[in-house]
Amino acid sequence: MLAPWTTLLGYSPALLNGLWLTASMSVLAFAFAFALGVAGALGRRSRIAPLRWAGATYVETIRNTPVLLQLFMIYFALPEFGIRLGAFEAGAAALAINAGAYLTEIIRAGLQAVPRGQLEAARSIGLGPGDTFRSVVFPQALRYVYPPVVSQFIQVILGSSLVSQIALKEITNAAQTINSQTLLTMHVFAIALVLYLLLSNVTAVLADVVGRNAFKPPLVPRRKGGAPSMRDQLLAMVRGG
Amino acid sequence: MGWQGIFESSGILFTGLVNTLLLSVASIATGTTLGLIVALLRTARIRGLGLPLRLYLEIFRGSPLLVQMLFIYFGAAYLGIRGVDTFMAALTALTLYEGALISEIFRAGIEAVPRGQREAARSLGLSRYQIERYVILPQTVPIVLAPLVGQYIGLVKDTALATAIGYFELVREGQAIIDRIGMPIETFIVIAGIYFMICYPMSLAARRLETRALHA
Repeated sequence: MLAPWTTLLGYSPALLNGLWLTASMSVLAFAFAFALGVAGALGRRSRIAPLRWAGATYVETIRNTPVLLQLFMIYFALPEFGIRLGAFEAGAAALAINAGAYLTEIIRAGLQAVPRGQLEAARSIGLGPGDTFRSVVFPQALRYVYPPVVSQFIQVILGSSLVSQIALKEITNAAQTINSQTLLTMHVFAIALVLYLLLSNVTAVLADVVGRNAFKPPLVPRRKGGAPSMRDQLLAMVRGG
Repeated sequence: MGWQGIFESSGILFTGLVNTLLLSVASIATGTTLGLIVALLRTARIRGLGLPLRLYLEIFRGSPLLVQMLFIYFGAAYLGIRGVDTFMAALTALTLYEGALISEIFRAGIEAVPRGQREAARSLGLSRYQIERYVILPQTVPIVLAPLVGQYIGLVKDTALATAIGYFELVREGQAIIDRIGMPIETFIVIAGIYFMICYPMSLAARRLETRALHA
């Protein structure tokens, strides 16, 4: 009964290494994705038409083709142009470019939601366009977009499993390797599943804590009756409620 | 650039396209059915079903589709369940994963219908089935249509993951072509173009449905 688990205990270094690769690649990819998202949103709202077209083309091509294909293009096709990336770099780049397209639309909607009067008021007290964006418009947009941005980050974590297909030894790839070596299929994939569930739920809880403390006034998730979600229960546990 | 080689491989690409469409259409049908059933069961607040259904949602939305697919494909072989080929494993994984996401779309739609509608229908003496079928669900249609189409776009793209378990859809056929004739850039561009031609019209439809829902 316990034998499979003790066997798998011997593989914990590979799994922990996989966990580290998944987490670090996701964080790196998300940082670049967010920067791409801000740039893309500014491009789509720009007064310069070619920038708007570039933004729209980026969003539409990326959102209407599979991430796996984007990953394969970067990893297998770019070397034809002399750009040779390692699996980690290619994975992070593909995830960043993909999530960046979704974040472009999210951030664009957030910027659009900031009342025009805010911008006009900031300009009329003498702030330049850069300062207006940095200290008036963007912080307010961030409030609106925080929840969808967090779920996009979780999508990046889950999507990073695809990088297993270009042989990066992250969680999914480690699980596949261990499966082929031990044939303990159910146990191995159950562990992989739990690792991802841990990553996504811990991220969600941390993001909630940050959301409630980093913003003034604090962000309070909207709830419309019904049973509290598991995330809320976890949060209550974390805060000792 | 040798586009000629790709043109000569169009038969292989066509097989891949057919397999991608087959898996997409089948998963849309099963995923939507499962999503609707789960949403109805959840909104009906049936005792004892709440926790298992929420567990189902948390697990399938909180883990990668790829892991679910590998789990189902290799797990079925491990358990000795016969008849689970690459298509069946991919279909099962897509159904369970997309079903979880689609159920949340339906649930939001059902909860958006004013309570009074349900109460009025009940006071008219309609049965539970009649209430859902003739009063509630028709009113959710304009609300759920746009996000549903959006979800289907994601589903079509997600079928590409079936390449990992060896299902011969577009991406895998593309790799087969590259193995034979090289030219990864041209091949991947053609495949990306095929996906785009399927998904972009769906995106436009979703956008149109969304603006229509806003003005309704």
